[in-house]
Amino acid sequence: MTRWQRMIRRFDPVGRRLVTAVVYAFLAFLTIPIVYTFVASFASSADGVLPSGFATLENWRVVMGYADYGVQTTVGRSLLFSAGIATGGTVVNLLVGVPIAYALTRYEFFARDWLNALAILPLVPGIVLGIAFLRAYPENASTSFGLVVGYALLKSPYMVLTVQSSFQSMDLRRIEESARSLGASWPRTFLTVILPNAKNGIVAGSIITWTLAAAEFNFTYMVYSQGPRPFSLFLFENINNAPFLQSAAAISIYFLIVVSAIVVLQFLGNRGFTTTTTNP
Amino acid sequence: MAEVCLEGLTKRFDTELAVDGIDLAIRDGEVLGVVGPSGCGKTTTLRTLAGFETPTEGRVLIDDEDVTHVPPERRNVGLVFQSYALFDNMTVLENVAFGPKMQGIGKTERRDRARELLSMLDIDALADRAPETLSGGQQQRVGLARALAIEPDVLLLDEPMTGLDASLKERLRTELSGLLEELEVTALYVTHDQEEAMVMCDRIAVLNDGSLEQVGRPTEIYERPANRFVADFVGTSNVLPATVENGRLDLGFATFESNGFSETTDGTAVVRPDDLTLGAGPIEAIVRDRFYLGNGVRIRAELPDGESVIVGLDRTAREVTVGDPISLDLEVDRIHVLE
Repeated sequence: MTRWQRMIRRFDPVGRRLVTAVVYAFLAFLTIPIVYTFVASFASSADGVLPSGFATLENWRVVMGYADYGVQTTVGRSLLFSAGIATGGTVVNLLVGVPIAYALTRYEFFARDWLNALAILPLVPGIVLGIAFLRAYPENASTSFGLVVGYALLKSPYMVLTVQSSFQSMDLRRIEESARSLGASWPRTFLTVILPNAKNGIVAGSIITWTLAAAEFNFTYMVYSQGPRPFSLFLFENINNAPFLQSAAAISIYFLIVVSAIVVLQFLGNRGFTTTTTNP
Repeated sequence: MAEVCLEGLTKRFDTELAVDGIDLAIRDGEVLGVVGPSGCGKTTTLRTLAGFETPTEGRVLIDDEDVTHVPPERRNVGLVFQSYALFDNMTVLENVAFGPKMQGIGKTERRDRARELLSMLDIDALADRAPETLSGGQQQRVGLARALAIEPDVLLLDEPMTGLDASLKERLRTELSGLLEELEVTALYVTHDQEEAMVMCDRIAVLNDGSLEQVGRPTEIYERPANRFVADFVGTSNVLPATVENGRLDLGFATFESNGFSETTDGTAVVRPDDLTLGAGPIEAIVRDRFYLGNGVRIRAELPDGESVIVGLDRTAREVTVGDPISLDLEVDRIHVLE
């Protein structure tokens, strides 16, 4: 063993501790604002450095529309509306993005590289896409349907990229050919072998597209004009107009919904794909 | 079991000719090896037989039935890949039962069949394991069991041993060979490893640049290569210019009595390393290189005219060292002269 190798070996435990410490510090950096906001939503005063007067559900009652005063609209309707629109966008992405990711990985075809670039192009800022939508489809851009299509388009690169990377880690052609040689038609191969093998990517893509769409602000702000108020606009207005503690309750509700969505999607990922395994 | 016939098979990808008018028959229950250098068209031939490529010209017949345009899922052809291609979303048992399930076989029967195959391949203990937890050799056995589970008319094996370590490869080779014989499966075995083809196959087809160079039993291919390419590709050989006149074979550096060759003034003698023997003989040479191979010794001996020949010796020939002058004899009856 050279002197250099001995030095590296000696540094090894220190290095490992250092990396672990950085990971924990980063996690704390990410979670402190969320935990602080969540805890503050149960406080009755935000006058000092830290919130005080624990614990009350008043802020939650106000934003959920159970109080006689407070924010202009209740959070429930906005949340439901945004969750619905985000779910619509995610479903559109599953139906369109997954096949696109498959085709881009599996086949060689004319202008494949162009399609690859096009699939990532919607990563443009939401505000840019919003303006483009309003100009191109002035009639439909501001409707719920417009929001679903807009969210789907805006978040599609996350679905395509995550699912594509799942497909790339598989020997797609050989797996497909094995299944077909065993008597499975192409659609059956795709549904019972290819998709379940890309499960992790599909679940991850759904979580990312859903959570990003549910809180999309820029695009929504640009195109929204009718129907229930999307959650991101509701938050924006209430952070301006309502006390901090009520905003904290509204944000906490959003986080709880995101966590629930992740749990549900992961549960579906673990159970919902096993069409074949339960019945060999 | 079935008989397979490829008639005038041609496959073109854009301007590239991958397979050029191959006529090839696999007899019922026979294991036919396909060997050749990379890009010679062996995998394209296999994929065409499996139904994943449509030939540009020619026909594919299985038991006299034209299946050229029949989709892969309706050909009843089993496939085993080098990369195993197991389904990671299923257990080993589910992988093996997948084919019978697609054939509409009932749950109990397909599970029984899968267990029987796993037991035959000595991997029944792995039934409930996930494929990614298995070693390469175990995965390959699962791949084979899965392909056999549909009771295929033809089994196609695409470099199934590549990627396995040498000792495992040798063990699996013997087992697989025994299994194919026992099941009397008609099989096409694509490999770039000629030794593997020699051990595994009843006959071997040698491809080069999309064309069929020779088909024959392993001994024919090795001892009577049809042309220089086959002589060079299959095994090590010394390819030497030769003339045969009045029953004498003249290799330039020595002449030998022989009645077995046709007269030629422009022939090529294919001399395998083990056709040359060390001892009193008419060929004088000097040892220039010596390679110990474990089960034998190879030497490169320089002839008086400056040419070299490769000589195979048994491993007891320890006394031969680089720089030694030696005398070599030739087993004339074993060599082959191409006209």
